[in-house]
Amino acid sequence: MSLKSSIATAAGKSSYWFLHTFFKGGSSLPGKITKKLDPDILSTLARNYDVIVITGTNGKTLTTALTVQVLKEKYDHILTNPTGSNMEQGIITTFLHASSTKGKRPLAILEVDEANVIKVTQYIKPKAFVFTNIFRDQMDRYGEIYTTYQKILNGVALAPNATIIANGDAPIFHSKQLPNPIIYYGFDNQPDQDIKATPNTDGVLCPQCQHILHYHFISYSNLGKYFCPNCGYERPKLNFALNKITALSPKSSSFEIDGEPIKIEIGGVYNIYNALAAYTVGRFMGVSPAQAKQAFEKDKRIFGRQEEINVDGKLVTLILVKNPVGLNQVIDMISTDKDPFTFIGLLNANYADGIDTSWIWDGDFERLPKMNIKQFITGGQRYKDITYRLQVAGVDPDKHLVEPDLDKVVAMIPKAPTKKVYILATYTAMLSLRKTFAAKGFIKGGMG
Amino acid sequence: MAYSLRVCHLYGDLMNTYGDLGNILVLKYLARQMGVDLTSEVVSLDQEFDPDQFDIVVFGGGQDFEQSIISKDIQHKKQALTSFIEDGGSVVAICGGYQLLGHYYIGANGEKLMGIGALDHHTDKQKDHRFIGNVVIQNEETGEKYHGFENHQGITFLGKGERPLGKVLEGHGNNGQDHTEGAIYKNVYCTYFHGPILARNNQIAKHVLLNALRRKYPDADLSQAEKVPVGSTF
Repeated sequence: MSLKSSIATAAGKSSYWFLHTFFKGGSSLPGKITKKLDPDILSTLARNYDVIVITGTNGKTLTTALTVQVLKEKYDHILTNPTGSNMEQGIITTFLHASSTKGKRPLAILEVDEANVIKVTQYIKPKAFVFTNIFRDQMDRYGEIYTTYQKILNGVALAPNATIIANGDAPIFHSKQLPNPIIYYGFDNQPDQDIKATPNTDGVLCPQCQHILHYHFISYSNLGKYFCPNCGYERPKLNFALNKITALSPKSSSFEIDGEPIKIEIGGVYNIYNALAAYTVGRFMGVSPAQAKQAFEKDKRIFGRQEEINVDGKLVTLILVKNPVGLNQVIDMISTDKDPFTFIGLLNANYADGIDTSWIWDGDFERLPKMNIKQFITGGQRYKDITYRLQVAGVDPDKHLVEPDLDKVVAMIPKAPTKKVYILATYTAMLSLRKTFAAKGFIKGGMG
Repeated sequence: MAYSLRVCHLYGDLMNTYGDLGNILVLKYLARQMGVDLTSEVVSLDQEFDPDQFDIVVFGGGQDFEQSIISKDIQHKKQALTSFIEDGGSVVAICGGYQLLGHYYIGANGEKLMGIGALDHHTDKQKDHRFIGNVVIQNEETGEKYHGFENHQGITFLGKGERPLGKVLEGHGNNGQDHTEGAIYKNVYCTYFHGPILARNNQIAKHVLLNALRRKYPDADLSQAEKVPVGSTF
């Protein structure tokens, strides 16, 4: 390590210690300090690591956690970044915080924001990239799906030897010729038909001839076994495939990957994709199918993001929603609940939520009136918008309460007519609810 | 039901980026309250637009790539759409849809992409800058205030026969210079307001439905439909 890097590392580490000790925080500031002192610090810090970068719109965090879990079956030293530290400075901090691994070749499994891939590959040549999906996401900030993908590829261009592990069901990941070796994973669990995506789906133009893509089947949004009836372009051959979905509930999913039955303690088809991605990385890194299965079933806490909170006897599930595809997956997931429940939708429009609330009109709220929902509550800064959305969706006004104030919404939960309560909330609404839940002792605090 | 209206969701499978579907949902919702049966159908690439088959056209906003493909395809529908508009057909056009009804717009890479010139506006491009944020405008004829969200790099200048949808009270509007936002021409409503303009300002949805009903049923008594309550989510 050069003198400059040593000084920078020391400064970063001590600032981490200081922040962590006195403010219980410190995810990006130490990285910022270190980078300032030594702009190339990442190449020094990461030089002994085999790095795998996980990026995409949805599913980065859980895919990263699951990948770590799977790789633990074979590898002893794995570094990973905590949720929310997926930009350059947070990644530097992650390496600063790592304990010394002299003589070993440890792994670093990093969740990286789409636009920050290039900031990582400038200094690190990863062993592999994982592409989960690209959907429209808070477009006031990120722009179009093609722009987002190009940002990722600009970063990948600096690492042409790294293997790309991509979701083969996403047409965009098969749209550009790349020098990198590519492994595809995807779903192969339904008989072939000839269908089109619903009109409200993004990214359905054939990348070769710009006609509308058709599908043999769709798993969700624009993901599936696509083909172009005009030019014959089609989904690439899958290296690893999900063959069967056996059972779905809001809290668990059972399925088979390449014939191996697996159960994960989390609902939602999108999470099966995350598991499949982690499985594929594991196989790429020499983990056996049996070891991967064992990893998924071993530690349930890994799925902690959707924990159930007990609020005066009510079983409350708090779920973050931030874009239409994610929202529709959550709506799909709660539809698998066999018990009656109360539905709460909270819409804020701060910067972290996305200041443009148009996307709620892309959510398939029309499914709600068909579910066994006994009461609806809408609230948050933009309560008028979310309330009208549910009204247009056909929600019975007699079952629908409106409360802008989030603290008052929390006070309404114990009076809900059902034992189960699902809360769908945008980011700052979720933070504010968690704060209230923590103040009342229902949870321990933080983002969990 | 006594009355029925048919909506053409023009390129609905490609121009749908910012909750545009909300406009169709709100038209259906209000139509139901008016006692009108409203159906909608997507007309997209390589398909013919038959002006006699529809009473309302909804033309949403999309991504640059999709919009550039549509710029070519829509030339085949130019005559049919123009005669629909000249004949008093109702249209709601948003962002890219708005731009494509005019003469041309400048694409992401600076290339000039043709619209159909059914309306007399044209769209240039700001250099490395977008208008992003909340907008409030006032319809100078009715006094109604509309609110929405804009996110566009294009700057549009109105032409002959067009008046703005409203005067800008907050935000940027068409071009950030002349305080206009959107356009009205005959029964065509154009805007940069994102996606669900009709959801957030259902007064406009009501105008669109009533215009379409008056055109299709000139002798009908629409007093019940006129009473349907509306109000923005402002």
